[in-house]
Amino acid sequence: MSASVQIPPPRTSLAALPIDQTRGISAMWCVIATEAMLFVCMFAAYYYLGNNKDRWSLETPPKVTYAIILLAILLSSSFVLHWGEQQVKAARFAAGRMALWVTVALGVVFLALQGFEYYDHWKELAPYSDSYGSIFYTITSLHAAHVIFGLMMLVYIGVLPRWGATARTPHAPYHTVAIYWHFVDVVWVFIVALLYVIPVFQAMHHGH
Amino acid sequence: MSEQLLIDRLTTLWETPKNRYGWFATVDHKELGIRYVVTAFVFLAIGGLEALLMRLQLSHSDAGVLTPEAYNQIFTLHGATMIFWYASPILSGFAVYLVPLMIGARDMAFPRLNAFTYWAYLLSGIFLYISPFLGQSPHAGWFAYAPYTLRDYSPSLGMDFYALALIFLTISTTGGAINFIVTILRLRAPGMAISRMPLFLYSTLTVSFVILFALPALTAACMFLELDRRWGTHFFRTAGGGSTFLWQQLFWFFGHPWVYVIFLPATGMLSLIIPAFSRRTIVGYPFVAISTILTGVVGFGVWLHHMFTVGMSDIAMSFFSAGSMTIAIFTTIQVFAWLATVWRGRPVPTAAMHYAVGSIVMLVIGGLSGVFTGVIPADWQVHNTYYVVAHMHYVLIGSNVFPVFAAFYYWLPKMTGRMMSERLGKWSFWVMFAGFNVGFFPMHALGMMGMPRRIYTYQQGLGFDGLNMVVTLGAFVLGIGILLSIVNLFWSLRYGTLAGPNPWNSDGLEWSTDSPPAPYGSAHIPLIASRHPLWDDFEEEDDPDNDRTLDAGRLTPVTTWLDAAPIGIATIPEDSLAPLWMSIVLFVFFICFVLQMVWVGLCLLLATFLIGCFWMWPRTEKEIA
Repeated sequence: MSASVQIPPPRTSLAALPIDQTRGISAMWCVIATEAMLFVCMFAAYYYLGNNKDRWSLETPPKVTYAIILLAILLSSSFVLHWGEQQVKAARFAAGRMALWVTVALGVVFLALQGFEYYDHWKELAPYSDSYGSIFYTITSLHAAHVIFGLMMLVYIGVLPRWGATARTPHAPYHTVAIYWHFVDVVWVFIVALLYVIPVFQAMHHGH
Repeated sequence: MSEQLLIDRLTTLWETPKNRYGWFATVDHKELGIRYVVTAFVFLAIGGLEALLMRLQLSHSDAGVLTPEAYNQIFTLHGATMIFWYASPILSGFAVYLVPLMIGARDMAFPRLNAFTYWAYLLSGIFLYISPFLGQSPHAGWFAYAPYTLRDYSPSLGMDFYALALIFLTISTTGGAINFIVTILRLRAPGMAISRMPLFLYSTLTVSFVILFALPALTAACMFLELDRRWGTHFFRTAGGGSTFLWQQLFWFFGHPWVYVIFLPATGMLSLIIPAFSRRTIVGYPFVAISTILTGVVGFGVWLHHMFTVGMSDIAMSFFSAGSMTIAIFTTIQVFAWLATVWRGRPVPTAAMHYAVGSIVMLVIGGLSGVFTGVIPADWQVHNTYYVVAHMHYVLIGSNVFPVFAAFYYWLPKMTGRMMSERLGKWSFWVMFAGFNVGFFPMHALGMMGMPRRIYTYQQGLGFDGLNMVVTLGAFVLGIGILLSIVNLFWSLRYGTLAGPNPWNSDGLEWSTDSPPAPYGSAHIPLIASRHPLWDDFEEEDDPDNDRTLDAGRLTPVTTWLDAAPIGIATIPEDSLAPLWMSIVLFVFFICFVLQMVWVGLCLLLATFLIGCFWMWPRTEKEIA
């Protein structure tokens, strides 16, 4: 055998090491990467379908008011959840738990308001009206599905035992779900920008 | 503590009970890896039989073995089975078995996820194969171009089975990819810095990232297809403003990176097998590692070459043509590294080495015809002809099937503990090699003569008859060659000589364990001092103070991702039925979707989530240890 570089590692004692709680967080980042790519594909489909169509969504751009209110709700929920995470990290579990339930409440309000927006919007545009309606409702409802999944995970964290009782803090699962929730919020930022704000500006531009 | 006591203790902790519960609940990566390999091999056999049926139909002009509809269904099932349910899962199977052993970990990072991805893979395959029993298989090709797949042209349930089976498989594949990423980046034994990883880990890691970024396009495409078929949307329906090319864009954005998913791990295997039988270290380790990663990255910039005849701007086509040829550079780097390794080494002509070298030959032929089809004017000539079929099979069989057989001959002694027959193995190789080349080389000529692909028959007098008969004969010879290896496997299980820990005198860490390995892998977590742990004179498992036994529970060390410095102890969960239940509920969910029972389906999704909660629910102090 030809010799190869051989540098023995330092002999650190394994027995003294802490319990690892980071694998779940690494996995969640991978989930976020692949889900982000799913939304990238959705946005790509939106523009691909809109390509070479001079009337793409311009006739009736979606009402931007709802989207902005929804954005405000989601963004404030992210701040609340982040604050809660800081509390859990500092072992103030009651505050952390409260922040979590406030986030859940804000998420439910978001879904209710989005349902109302759908009800309003549906009169003019349905998924089966044309390809614009198809992709518009697919993207927004796929996001809603992610909100629902995020809410279910938040509830799971909320009912988890071991808040402060053992060596294993609830901080790791809390953080894992929180980064997913922030991701869902960021997706909504992109949806508001690409599906609501830009078409409204384009409609104004065309109007003049 | 005496060594025997330690071994008993670890065995109690890690062994799956050998009863029915244990069989269904196991999370042992070795058990699951073998199941993956066996299941994928069964799908290879099914896909192979479908191919032989098609070859019978095409052996002479105007044959009547299969009706056009039956041919289309079998042809679609063959493609989907081979690409999705054989080629990638068989590599995942080897990786599930080998990765923890190669990095000195006691299991994968998420063993229950590992069990779930196996069951979901198996059940998605069964889901797809329900369709032929209803006589309603998918029939629009594995690429499933719209608008053939829309309700108007495919009113049967076939395309629904296709789209939903793929979404189901996507869940499994993505879960597996996440598991490999976290395992390889976090669970490597102390000292196995990223510059010391076996090259197979580079390729598995690369394709896991490729899966994360490429598969969503397939999911999106299949979702759009189901929505168009079932809910009257207009993604692919031109009448409502949709675009049939949207399917092609999304499908090939996924589809071409997928080629590297089923190719790179196999080259990673070759990068371990060829040095082992050349009795020297691989030439140009960093170049092979980097070109593996770059193949994965640049693989995202070539998909339009499947669509050169669609009609696009010259700029777009030139860019993707250049991208396609750039890929060849990275593959060439690997090929030259292997050749140089053989050249500078002392090659041992084992059966595994036969397969490895044979696959290089075919990979080069397939790669060169790939460069040829990457040139736009040449592509326009041979597009949709048998030339492409020849190219594709040279690449896929040359760079997937033959390396997988090399891997069988190389690693099966580790899995079964018994050696396969070298003599029968070499016979099998030569029969397969001859059969494959006799079967597929004439396809180049057929394509040049203008024989279109994806046809169920051709007319007499076009001059295709003779060569097609040769192709069919070659295909059957290839099948006989594969059969010889199957016989070899069963022979070795009964009569093979005992392998011992390291029958090939190889360098990798997986060869330091017994054959088959103990349920816990190594009793003492190894320390790694070089790229070739078993070829250096450092004693990996030397642990006089019993510091690295980690026998207080199901534990394995967590290390930093670059230097592999130990930073924590991972707790590995016990066996559980939750993964099996979750995949079964998902299976029923997809069945409900085919039957359009949407509300039942949504309830089942909720059930899936609740099973997930049960699965993750913290169990007392036992797992904290």
